[in-house]
Amino acid sequence: MITQEQYRTRVKELLSSGTVKMVIGYKPGSTPDRRRPLFIRTAEEANRLVLDSACITNLSGYLVTEGLLSDEKKVAIFLRPEGIRSINILAAESQLNADQIIILGFDSTGSVVKTLDGTHAGDFSELLGSIKQNSPVKPSEVLFEQVEQMTPAERFAFWQEEFSRCIKCYACRQACPMCYCRRCIVDSNQPQWVNTSSHTLGNFEWNIVRAFHLAGRCVECGNCGRACPVNIPLRLINRRMAQEVIEAFDHFPGLNQTQEPVLASFKKDDSETFIL
Amino acid sequence: MTKILFTDKLHNCVEKWQSAGLTVIGPVQKANSSSYATVKNAGELDFNMVLPDRSIKELFFPQTEPILHYSIKKQEINTRESLPPNEPRIIFGARACDASGLAIDDPLFGWDYKDEYWFQRRNESVIVTIACTKADDFCMCTSLTLAPDSTKGSDVLLRPLENNKGWQVEELTERGREAFAKIADFLQESSEPAAPLAVVEEKFDLDSCVAWLKNPENFDSKFWKEISMRCIGCASCTFLCPTCHCFDIQDEGDTYSGIRRKNWDSCSFSLFTMHTSGHNPRSTQSARWRQRIMHKFNYFPGKFSVNSCSGCGRCSRQCPVDMGITETLQEISKLSQ
Repeated sequence: MITQEQYRTRVKELLSSGTVKMVIGYKPGSTPDRRRPLFIRTAEEANRLVLDSACITNLSGYLVTEGLLSDEKKVAIFLRPEGIRSINILAAESQLNADQIIILGFDSTGSVVKTLDGTHAGDFSELLGSIKQNSPVKPSEVLFEQVEQMTPAERFAFWQEEFSRCIKCYACRQACPMCYCRRCIVDSNQPQWVNTSSHTLGNFEWNIVRAFHLAGRCVECGNCGRACPVNIPLRLINRRMAQEVIEAFDHFPGLNQTQEPVLASFKKDDSETFIL
Repeated sequence: MTKILFTDKLHNCVEKWQSAGLTVIGPVQKANSSSYATVKNAGELDFNMVLPDRSIKELFFPQTEPILHYSIKKQEINTRESLPPNEPRIIFGARACDASGLAIDDPLFGWDYKDEYWFQRRNESVIVTIACTKADDFCMCTSLTLAPDSTKGSDVLLRPLENNKGWQVEELTERGREAFAKIADFLQESSEPAAPLAVVEEKFDLDSCVAWLKNPENFDSKFWKEISMRCIGCASCTFLCPTCHCFDIQDEGDTYSGIRRKNWDSCSFSLFTMHTSGHNPRSTQSARWRQRIMHKFNYFPGKFSVNSCSGCGRCSRQCPVDMGITETLQEISKLSQ
């Protein structure tokens, strides 16, 4: 609660001084364990903000809403470390100017919420560096290990079963801060590159496109998995791709704004384990 | 005395229906997600959930369905219509909101063009609804003038017994009577009392919401932008909705052969109304969310005299950003006071 009060005061200052035009945070949701994204423009509204361990959603995707930052005014946003990494990636990919983003950083352990010191994405590089150091190459998740142990045929069957539930609502895409394309490849219909049908082939096509497009860009905030209305364990795919990228290129996305997108850049000493 | 189906006889009933050629479908929990699915035996059915994650709609209007196969040769064009295979079935354990949703969509699918796919499946299906004895925070049937034991769209209504050992049987239609005649040997007469129904609190005043929506001045209200600012534009709400019925026709294949398919589509997508010119009459997410609410509570009842919502609450329950019809209509209720 102390953290929440500190931040409400800070938000009031930011808005009443005109430093920012908007603050993106959280408010109570429809049940005690839910939080909703909140957009406020006046200091009077600051008391509607909540900040506790239930504030999980990575809100950074709202920053690339068409037109939001085009007036060059600043926006403040509540972000966990993963969200700060998203800002760095969006800046590295020229989707936003990180100087326009005032970060209200926080993290939580259990039910305790703590503030993260810093104002701009660049202020958090030490913290993000330590996250990279402490990030396990393999997660301690039972299901992940089970899938790893499977033969390719078993793994294919596993994902076939999981993807059979996909209804192509694209909640995973819409919830992802990295899926900012104005027109997604699956919505491109002249020509129609990818089937719109949600049958086995169509569902594989979509989920494979998603997996590859997020490789080296995903910060594992979990927005996609939480958004999926049929609970497909999308995190397993993202985790596997992240593991590949770190093993092949020692690339941990979102450390800073000058990091080159790993799959859109080339270095002479890149490993060539399969090309030649 | 009431006709009772005891749960320990359900195995026999499922077998009996199957041997009479009926596919048995019901609520199934599988891999962390639930839906109405075909079962081999009664043990697979799960009656503990409030309602399945996915609505009953997909059994009648699947997410993707071939409607035409085509092939084109030099001087010849061949087309072959593809109707669903005949499959008489019994859906055991539907929820009242889901069954009502089907009845709400019947006039839509039978209006100017009779949708053969929908009606073939409707005519081949016996819907056995189990009244709800529990609800969650998102259930809102009572706000839509429905109830946990509504009979709309159902062929048989079952009321769970207080001792949880079976259901009171109320046959509602000829189709329901025929299906239950097949299992007459397994039914008993008894005076076991039914369990109390789930208490579903009324969450908004529907009449005042509808009146507000019908007022043309409110079409351009700033309310729409405020309520939908956090909408991320996915189709979770529309695809899980038992009454949302929009679809797209797509050809898969090439110039020479392929399949024409009918796929779910959603007014949440910007592409839904995108013109070839590039102009989009619903260019913002707020315009799209307004359309969804207006369609359900203004345009649809204007044409078919019934709201296009049965109160299942899936739109709110599974929304990634905790939006939904309930919140919107609650806010409209406040505005219209």
